[in-house]
Amino acid sequence: MSIEQQYRTKAKELLSSGEVKMVIGYGPGSTPDRRRPLFITTPDETDRLVLDSACIANLSGYLVTEGLLSDEKRVAIFLRPEGIRTINILAAEAQLNSDQVVIIGFDSAKNEVTALKGSSTEDFSVLIESMRANTPETAKEELFEKIEKMNPQERFTFWQEEFSKCIKCYACRQACPMCYCRRCIVDSNQPQWINTSAHTLGNFEWNIVRAFHLSGRCVECGNCGRACPVNIPLRLINRKMAKEVMDLFDHFAGTNKTQEPVLASFKKDDSETFIL
Amino acid sequence: MTKILFTDKLDNCIERWKSAGRTVIGPVQKNNISTYDTVKSASELDLNLVLPDRSIKELFFPQSEPMLRYTIKKEAINTSEFLPPSGQRIIFGARACDASGLAIDDPLFGWDYKDEYWFQRRNESVIVTIACTKADDFCMCTSLKLAPDSPKGSDIMLRPLENKKGWQVEELTERGREAFKTIADLLQESNEAAAPTITVPEKFDSTACAEWLKKPENFESKFWKEISLRCIGCGSCTYLCPTCHCFDIQDEGDTYNGIRRKNWDSCSFALFTMHTSGHNPRSTQSARWRQRIMHKFNYFPGKFSANSCSGCGRCTRQCPVDMGITETLQEISKLSQ
Repeated sequence: MSIEQQYRTKAKELLSSGEVKMVIGYGPGSTPDRRRPLFITTPDETDRLVLDSACIANLSGYLVTEGLLSDEKRVAIFLRPEGIRTINILAAEAQLNSDQVVIIGFDSAKNEVTALKGSSTEDFSVLIESMRANTPETAKEELFEKIEKMNPQERFTFWQEEFSKCIKCYACRQACPMCYCRRCIVDSNQPQWINTSAHTLGNFEWNIVRAFHLSGRCVECGNCGRACPVNIPLRLINRKMAKEVMDLFDHFAGTNKTQEPVLASFKKDDSETFIL
Repeated sequence: MTKILFTDKLDNCIERWKSAGRTVIGPVQKNNISTYDTVKSASELDLNLVLPDRSIKELFFPQSEPMLRYTIKKEAINTSEFLPPSGQRIIFGARACDASGLAIDDPLFGWDYKDEYWFQRRNESVIVTIACTKADDFCMCTSLKLAPDSPKGSDIMLRPLENKKGWQVEELTERGREAFKTIADLLQESNEAAAPTITVPEKFDSTACAEWLKKPENFESKFWKEISLRCIGCGSCTYLCPTCHCFDIQDEGDTYNGIRRKNWDSCSFALFTMHTSGHNPRSTQSARWRQRIMHKFNYFPGKFSANSCSGCGRCTRQCPVDMGITETLQEISKLSQ
């Protein structure tokens, strides 16, 4: 039996038994190569679920939709390893109760989908630890290495050109499971902290603010970069920040659900004499 | 016999237009994205695209436009206005959906208040459209009763030759004729056949959709919630749309010095309708998506007798969660049967 079929059956069982009220997974998209988020609430709909290597989006952001988990019922969700780490962070940041999340884990590489065993975040802790160890190898990317070698001026020019394309549609923010703020700083307009204009300064302000807010929290799921309609390589910014946080604080985001948020915790014996 | 512009003469044409003081703009690849931008020569143009990623509207309605500078002192408040940079432009290689989008927005920008920023640019621009010989899965102009060679909004229509060596020239407006006078001697009379325009299948019945949208009981239909369940509320569809025209006025600076700007805004955002009191009449994403569809296919046609959609398909093509106008109207077509 294919993994897709196995997981459809699993989803059906979860819904029939009443263990979960909803399954968040993937369905066929508007073209053969597209997949889209799918929300299933009855057992007979589970045949619509699709699972293949085109299922890439991290769906965990939907879990923090206002009101979804407030009835304390459980929701099952298809997640890749990055998505599982996201649940840990959301739990650590008190955005959800991870006991309400039933993980249907999978991974994909080279057009092959593999099942991941387990259903709660703890079941995947060994896997997440192995990701931590392997990060430097998997994160290698030509453009990233190229930017790392640039001097500050060259790097500034590179990002200036990239950000000049930004239209401030906030697709990066909306697609990001870590951007759950009910009111984003850019939407705070009394006073207007961040310029709303999509000009050079405004675009820098927005993208830098986001980079800082995601430092030590981003799991590099890639949702932002895929969502960007003007193809800004946003993943590179977050990768850089993840690397910095790893080097400076030995912090790998999303290892467990009680992990302290690295930039939001305070230690008396901190080597720094100030707080940014 | 038809007038033909051969591709090997395009560079001469661009030279000629530039010498006559016109800026030449066309579809280009820039920084890993396709857009309409200024070109110096024909080699910079990318005329093989189905359509550029970014729409033509930003050439007329930029995402951020300075309107006035203000300084406030004890004795006086001083303001100085910005006007759009003046200059004749030729937009070469527009798509019919983009050109139609401009014509759709003309009455809107000229309705109760005549938007100088829009009309100065409109009056100084010649739109040279190339009829489409290819389309992708997301193109839907025919569903909006337009076509890959709609003349709407264009000043010149170019029809690609079968042998791909040039275009048949159709002058549609006086402004177009004027611009092509400059290059009259570079055009040739010939019998070369034009390639057929692409057939774009009709994906929904826009008339039936309009009828359904007009029925008051459908405003509260559960359909809206179902269709927009996965909408993440970004502004990608509205900002890439050639007809979406909403903007916000923002003062940038401090109390005493600053610039007032006109910035794109999007009905997808929660903040769009947020009242000062904190109440939001469109508090859910489904209400926002309903507004977008209602505006484009009910309210706008009610006022201006045209749908506020030209069928470019960018909304679906670029949607992070594979939503868009096409699917919504397909579903409404089904409901209205």
